[in-house]
Amino acid sequence: MVTLEKNIKGVKDVLTSQDIIVFEFNSLSGKKFAAIYADGLADKQLLGELVVKPLRDAKEDIKLDDVKLLLASPEVKDGTKIKDAIKEVSDGNAVLFVDGEKDFFIIGLKNPPGRTPAEPPTQIVIKGPREGFTEDIKTNLGLVRKRVKSENMQVKMLKTGKRSDTAVAMVYIDGVCEKGLPEKIEKQIAKNEIDLIPDSSYISQFISKKPRSLFKRNGTTEKPDIFCAKICEGRVGLIVDGSPIALTVPYMLVEDMQAAEDYYALSYRSTVLRIIRVMSLIVGMLLPALYISAQLFKIQLIPFQLLLKIASSISGLPLSPSVEMFFTLFVLEVLNEASIRMPKYVGLALSVVGALVLGDTAVKAGIISSPAIIIIALSAICLYTTPDLVETTTTLRWIFLIIAGSIGPFGIVVFICFLICYLVTEQSYGVPLMCPFAPLVKNDLYDSMVKANSYTLKKRPESLNVRDKVRLKQK
Amino acid sequence: MKLCTRQICFILLAYTAVSRMILYPTLLSAACGRDLLFPALIDFFVQGVIIWAVAFLCSKTDKTLFELLEGALGNIVARIVYGLFAAFFFLTAIIPLFEQKLYVHAIFYDTIPSLLVFVPFFFFSVYAGTKGFKNIGRSADICLPVFILAMLFIFVMALVEVKWDNFLPILKTPIKKVFGGSLSTLYRFSEPCWLLMFMGHFKYKKWDAAKITLSYAGGAVITLFMLFVFYGIYGELAMSRQFAISKISLFFPAIELLGRIDLIALYILEIAMLFALVLNIQLTVHCVKKCTGYTDKNVISFIVNAALLIILVVCDSKFHSIHTVYEKWMWIVFVIFANVMPLLAWALPRRKKR
Repeated sequence: MVTLEKNIKGVKDVLTSQDIIVFEFNSLSGKKFAAIYADGLADKQLLGELVVKPLRDAKEDIKLDDVKLLLASPEVKDGTKIKDAIKEVSDGNAVLFVDGEKDFFIIGLKNPPGRTPAEPPTQIVIKGPREGFTEDIKTNLGLVRKRVKSENMQVKMLKTGKRSDTAVAMVYIDGVCEKGLPEKIEKQIAKNEIDLIPDSSYISQFISKKPRSLFKRNGTTEKPDIFCAKICEGRVGLIVDGSPIALTVPYMLVEDMQAAEDYYALSYRSTVLRIIRVMSLIVGMLLPALYISAQLFKIQLIPFQLLLKIASSISGLPLSPSVEMFFTLFVLEVLNEASIRMPKYVGLALSVVGALVLGDTAVKAGIISSPAIIIIALSAICLYTTPDLVETTTTLRWIFLIIAGSIGPFGIVVFICFLICYLVTEQSYGVPLMCPFAPLVKNDLYDSMVKANSYTLKKRPESLNVRDKVRLKQK
Repeated sequence: MKLCTRQICFILLAYTAVSRMILYPTLLSAACGRDLLFPALIDFFVQGVIIWAVAFLCSKTDKTLFELLEGALGNIVARIVYGLFAAFFFLTAIIPLFEQKLYVHAIFYDTIPSLLVFVPFFFFSVYAGTKGFKNIGRSADICLPVFILAMLFIFVMALVEVKWDNFLPILKTPIKKVFGGSLSTLYRFSEPCWLLMFMGHFKYKKWDAAKITLSYAGGAVITLFMLFVFYGIYGELAMSRQFAISKISLFFPAIELLGRIDLIALYILEIAMLFALVLNIQLTVHCVKKCTGYTDKNVISFIVNAALLIILVVCDSKFHSIHTVYEKWMWIVFVIFANVMPLLAWALPRRKKR
C-alpha cells in the first residue's frame, strides 16, 4: 500500500522550493488527504471551498472513486505518475493525494496573479471595443471565445520552453484557414528548444523562417477584436502565456497600415487615414535623408525662400549638415529611450530638459539649426502613425541617413530599389509580404490602401489561400 | 508559374517607355528634327508585330525557349543559343548603363561627382541578378504604379509649355533620313527578346497575345507622347538637350531654378528606370545559368556585374565612341536577336505539355 507520505516525498524531492505547500487534512471519518500546490499560483480560497471542505465533511470511509464525486471543483483530472503531479503543481494547479492510493487528482485551481483586461496602450481607439489582452492565457482565450462562438474555432494547446514550459494556444477556424498551415506552425515552434519563453516575441522569431530579417513575418495585436477578425479572415493566431501580445500568421506588410478603427469608422475616412499613414511612413523614413542630401548634393531641390531661411539658420554652425542631423536624431532616440525607462515623476523634468535645454537652447547656442529639429520631430511623429513598424522604420531611417550623407539622393533611390527587390520575394508562410500589391491581387486591394465598405468586402483575402472564400452573404 | 500575363504587360508598358527617356528623344531630334515621331513609330510598329508573333507563339506551347531548342536541336545547341542570348543581353545593357550614369550625375548632383557614386547601383544589380522571374514580375507590379504616378506628375507640368507650331511643317524630312533615324536607334529595342525569355514561364490564357501587344503599344504611346512633348517644348533646340525627361517639366510656372519639385517625380521615376535597366542584367544571368548549367546565381550575377562595372570604368570617357559603334553596327545584331530569332522560334517543333 502506498502511503501518503511516500507520495508527498515523491513530489517534494523534486519540488524542494519552500513555496510548494503541502496541506494535509483529515475527513471526519479519519481518512487522510494531502493537497500540494504552489503558493501564489493556485487559488487557496477555491482549494478550501471546493476540495478541503467537502472532503472534511465526509463522515463515512470513502474510496478513491467517491472522492472524485465529492470534489466540487469543475476541473478535476486523474493522475497516475508523480512526474505529472510535479508538472501540474509547477503549472499552478493543485494535486490531491489520498492516503493508501497511488493515483491522485489534479484540480484546476490555477490562478496566477494578473490584471483585468484593459485598453492596450499601443492600440487606443476612439470608436470600437477597448478590451485588450492580458498576460493570462486563459483570460485571453476567454476574450477570444466571447467573440467567436463558432464550433469550427479550434484551440490547440502547445508547450514550449525547456524550463518555463510555457503554454501557447494556437487558434484558428477549421475550414477557413489554409489546410496544413497550423501543422506547419506547430512544427516550426517544436523545432526550437529554449529555456524560457518570457514573451510572444520569442515565438515570433521561432515561427519566422528568416528570424534575422529586418522585417517581421507575423502580425501582432493586443486587441481581441483584431485577433478575432484576423483568425476569421483565415489566419492562425498564437496566444502565449505571459504575454499580452498575440501573434497572427500569415502576415502581409499592409496589415500594419491598417488600424482597428478603420473597420469601425466611415470607409472614406478610413481610406484617407490609410493614405496618410503610408505617406507618413515614407516621409518619416526619408525626410531627414532627403534634407541632408539636398543640402549636400542637390541644393536645387530646396525652394529659394526656404533655402534662404536654412542658410541663415545654419550659418555659423560648427557641425556639417549630416553630422548635425545625426546628432539631432541621436538626441531624439535618447529622449525616446529615456522617456520609456524613466520613472513617471521624472518625466516632467525630462520634457523640460529635452524640449527647452536640448531644443531651444541648442538652437540659440548655435549648435544645431531649427530646420534640423523640425525635420527630426516631424519624422518621429510620422513614424508613429504605424506603431507596429516602428522598430523597422527607425532602423531604416538610420540607414537612409547614412546613405544620404555619403552617396546622396541616388543612394536613397538605389536603396529603395533594393528594398523593393527584397520585399517582393519575401513571404510569410507562403503569402508574399507585399501582397496585395506584388503580386497584385485585385480583390484584396479593397482592403489595403483603400478601405472599401463591408458590402464590397464580401470575400476573404485571396492572398491567404483560404478554403472558405465567402465572408459576407446577403439574403 | 513564375510570371503572370499581367506582370508581362506591366513590364512591357512601363519598361518600354522608361528605358527611352534619357537620350533617345535627343538622338531622334538630331536625326529627324520635327518628324522625330515617325522613325519611332516605324520601330515600335515593327517591334510590336514581333511582340505579337512571340506572344502568339506562347499560345502554341507551354515550353520555354530552352526546352523548345533542346527538344528540336539538342542540349548543346540550346546552350549555345542561350550563350548568344546572354551576350546579346549583356551588350543591350551597356548603352543604358552609360546613359543612366550620365543621367544620375546630371539630375542627382549639383556638381559632377565621382564615378563612385554610381557604384551602389551594382550592389543592387548583383542582388537583383540573383533573383528569378518571380522577382522580375513582382517588381513590375510595384514599378507600374510608380511609373504612372511619376509620369502623370511630369506630363501635367510639361504640357502647358508645348508649342504646336514646333511640329510644322510636318513630314518635310526626307524619307531616307526617317528610316536612317529608325535604324540608328534600333539598338534600343530588345523587348521581343524579353518576351521570348518569358515564354513558358507564364500560363497563356485566351486573348493574352492581344493584351501583351496592347501593353507594348501602350508603352510605345507613352514614349511617343514624351517625344511629342519634348520636341513641342524645345523645337529645334531639342537635339542639344540631353536627358529629355528631366528637361520637359523645367518651364512649369511653379518651378524655379531652385525648388525643383519636379526632381522628386524624377527620383520616383528613377526607381522604374533602374528596374528596367536591371532587367537586361537579370536576363543575362538567366541565360548564362542556362548556358553553363552552373546553378549558383550569386557568382554569375557577381561576374556579370563586375564585367559591366569594368567596362563602365574603363570606357568612362569613351561613351561617344561606344555609342557611335552601336549606332552604326549594332542594329544588325539587334535585327538578328530581337527580330529574326523570335521569328525563327516559330520554326521549332512545339508540343504542348500535358
